[in-house]
Amino acid sequence: MNNLAHLVEVMGIDAGGTMTDTFFVRADGEFVVGKAQSNPNDEASAVMESSGDALHLWGRKLEEVYPELVTAVYSGTAMLNRVVQRKGMKVGLIVNRGMEDFHRMGRGIQCYLGYSLEDRLHLNTHRYDEPLVPAERTVGVTERVDCHGDIVIPLREKEAVEATTRLLDQGAQAIAIVFLHAHKNGKHERRVAEIAREILARRGSNIPVFTSVDYYPTRKESHRSNTTILEAYAAEPSRKTLLGISDRMRGVGAKYDLRVMASHGGTISWKAKELARTLVSGPIGGVIGSKFLGEALGYDNIACSDIGGTSFDMALITKGEFAIQKDPNMARLLVSLPLVAMDSVGAGAGSFVRVDPYSQSIKLGPDSAGYRVGCCWEEGGIDTVTVSDCHVVLGYLNPDNFLGGALKLNVERARQAIKTQVADPLGLTVEKAAGGVIEILDQSLRGHLRSMINAKGYNPLDFVCFSYGGAGPVHTYGYTEGLGFKDVIIPAWAAGFSAFGCATAEFEYRYDKSVDIAVPPSASDGTKTASCVTLQQAWDELAEKVIEEFRINGFKPEDVILKPGFSMQYLGQLNDLEIDSPLGTVSSVEDWNRIVEAFDETYARVYARAARSPELGFGITGAIMRGIVATKKPKVPMEPEEGPTPPRDSELGSRPFYQRGVWKIAKLYSMEALRAGNEIAGPAVIESPATTLVVPEGWSTRLDSHRLFHLREV
Amino acid sequence: MSSYSKKEVGDLVDGRLPFETVHRMLSMPKDQERFSLYLEILQERVSWPDKIILARGPHLYIVQDKDSKKWVNKCSCGHVMGEYNENWKLYANIFVRNTEALLNELQPKLMAPHHEWQELREFICPSCGILHDVEAPVPWYPIINEFEPDIDTFYKEWVKIPLPERAN
Repeated sequence: MNNLAHLVEVMGIDAGGTMTDTFFVRADGEFVVGKAQSNPNDEASAVMESSGDALHLWGRKLEEVYPELVTAVYSGTAMLNRVVQRKGMKVGLIVNRGMEDFHRMGRGIQCYLGYSLEDRLHLNTHRYDEPLVPAERTVGVTERVDCHGDIVIPLREKEAVEATTRLLDQGAQAIAIVFLHAHKNGKHERRVAEIAREILARRGSNIPVFTSVDYYPTRKESHRSNTTILEAYAAEPSRKTLLGISDRMRGVGAKYDLRVMASHGGTISWKAKELARTLVSGPIGGVIGSKFLGEALGYDNIACSDIGGTSFDMALITKGEFAIQKDPNMARLLVSLPLVAMDSVGAGAGSFVRVDPYSQSIKLGPDSAGYRVGCCWEEGGIDTVTVSDCHVVLGYLNPDNFLGGALKLNVERARQAIKTQVADPLGLTVEKAAGGVIEILDQSLRGHLRSMINAKGYNPLDFVCFSYGGAGPVHTYGYTEGLGFKDVIIPAWAAGFSAFGCATAEFEYRYDKSVDIAVPPSASDGTKTASCVTLQQAWDELAEKVIEEFRINGFKPEDVILKPGFSMQYLGQLNDLEIDSPLGTVSSVEDWNRIVEAFDETYARVYARAARSPELGFGITGAIMRGIVATKKPKVPMEPEEGPTPPRDSELGSRPFYQRGVWKIAKLYSMEALRAGNEIAGPAVIESPATTLVVPEGWSTRLDSHRLFHLREV
Repeated sequence: MSSYSKKEVGDLVDGRLPFETVHRMLSMPKDQERFSLYLEILQERVSWPDKIILARGPHLYIVQDKDSKKWVNKCSCGHVMGEYNENWKLYANIFVRNTEALLNELQPKLMAPHHEWQELREFICPSCGILHDVEAPVPWYPIINEFEPDIDTFYKEWVKIPLPERAN
């Protein structure tokens, strides 16, 4: 594998709460994955250690490889944890006088976000989190802009002076300014920011000032204020962490600019003004990676599925595009950031298994052992049976090769726990009980996957299913069985697929702005032209922001490819659709008709041709501007095919394997030793240090020349 | 199934558990021994010897009188407030807030209910002065009997523990 002729070009970093994974890709498509314990106080060290672990496999040193790298993408959970644990900066908040409590009250939905359905209905579990800014650091200033952007009450500048002074006296480390309807007219917010900066200068302070209009000019003040506050509260501290990582990389010769995965599916520089959008990025990587592989291999409808220790995440790519959710929630807060749309359920390999004493039935989750695996890993300190325990007992997982042998699993301890906690209370044998657990999990995941696809009006027959995540390939056969996917694909690097996905993402900024354009069916040409002017103004404003972000990273405006978009709806409907504009600029009636046509086409594709309602007229709710610059991406691996018979050295013997009430003998293979073109019929288990691919009887798999396993029922 | 130590249940009573733990306790099927543990903890915190049957509130219990075996309502200070199947409120001192001035002691002007439409009745223990409950009905409304627990069914069919002797 140690081929010095090929440079190492791409690096992906996935810094989780417990492990920091790094993923290096060589110019010939070969890759290595490294792992190290995360270190919240010194993330740079964890990244270096993990890199060393990965590059060791190629027998290479950090100092040799870092100068070769052309791009590195980071995604991590540090910022999210800072918000969840409420350990951010002391932010001072300036709002409209009389509206001082709206941030603290929050939206009703925030008291049960992230809950299971049972708990959502179970009112006494609902709870409001501590606000990001407490009441005493929230100050009102008199002003009012109405919903059309007209000034109804002028700004009382004296109050702005008093407010700033008061916040500074209270030790505020940042100031956020959020006024009602500021997205329609930001004059007052900007004036208050000016006043605040004057006072700061006079007092010799340089704390940052954030206005919602310059960051997130979108409607819904709860979302807008949460996001603006997050920028001050959590993103600024992260910038320091990223600077630390970047500096350390430069220290070993890195020449690239470190980029960070952002919720909209692109990567942005750590120097970006709007850094809050890197708050949630981990699970998105897989979707981006699927899109990238799909483009390279010619799949344009993909169902992405990712099972880790705690959750099952699903996303759809249709016609080569993933969907964007515009007001998602992150860390139990509603925010106005674009997020790659995903559905998650709290079921994973670490989910706890319990018997409900009332219904005498098996109940999975919603909580999980996470990285502590289950009873089978004694050092993890878990006493409740988990799904992984069932896998170990049934021969799906190799107890001596979990995480490459880093953890030794105790089969007997798992067996005892299943016996006392699940099998005995239900009057079943251990195998039957454990087999039942797996079947219930598979069924529930299959149900979620099916309903996600059906609910959006699609049919699994038109999709290829990608399965990844450390625990994904163990379950793939179970949750895809009978759904009828065109193909089921498992990348050999399933465990590092999220980090891989991050490395494939575009260097892309995306900015959004709310606009209110309504064109009734009877509208005159004048209205249509005026609407184009409004949309174009919003695009110009956003394009300037996008280009400014790239300028910070040393790109020239002409390097930036701008992709304008808009959100449109039939007037009176509640939901809008996001459309990539067919035109770069709009100004005339013909332009208006052209973008309406693009919307009609998309609407017909997403819903149904007959559901189109042009007689209602058209409304535009938001303007979108995306900017991209060309970057280096990993190559899809390519190997020559070597025939269907696996090489001798890939065979690892056999192991008893329980399937549908019967013990069978499964042949074992080493994933790394398999060659392109090899075919394996079940029952078989294909093992690698970070993941296990289960091929039960009645199934077979084939490794193609891109190191992708295709799993199918025979 | 999940089970909790006596200390954890004690911390739950005192509101000292982190919310994540409380949430888990609320969401999971209840552990069988929880009620017995809960009663034990309550019993340790009162100074009188009568057996607690059920808590009616943070400071008010239905207890079995040690000598007569009659079930009565008892304040944590030991003051008895009628038999268990009577409305204990009728044995309390009642402070009625039925004027604007009295209501404005609690809520700012114009933010309290109008006294002709609603009054507040505060039920106070005649011995120790603790506030047991507040009700907020329209002024002419009789004293509300909040809750008549079906203790027999609760003990026998829900928590499945022996029902203590009852003389009344």
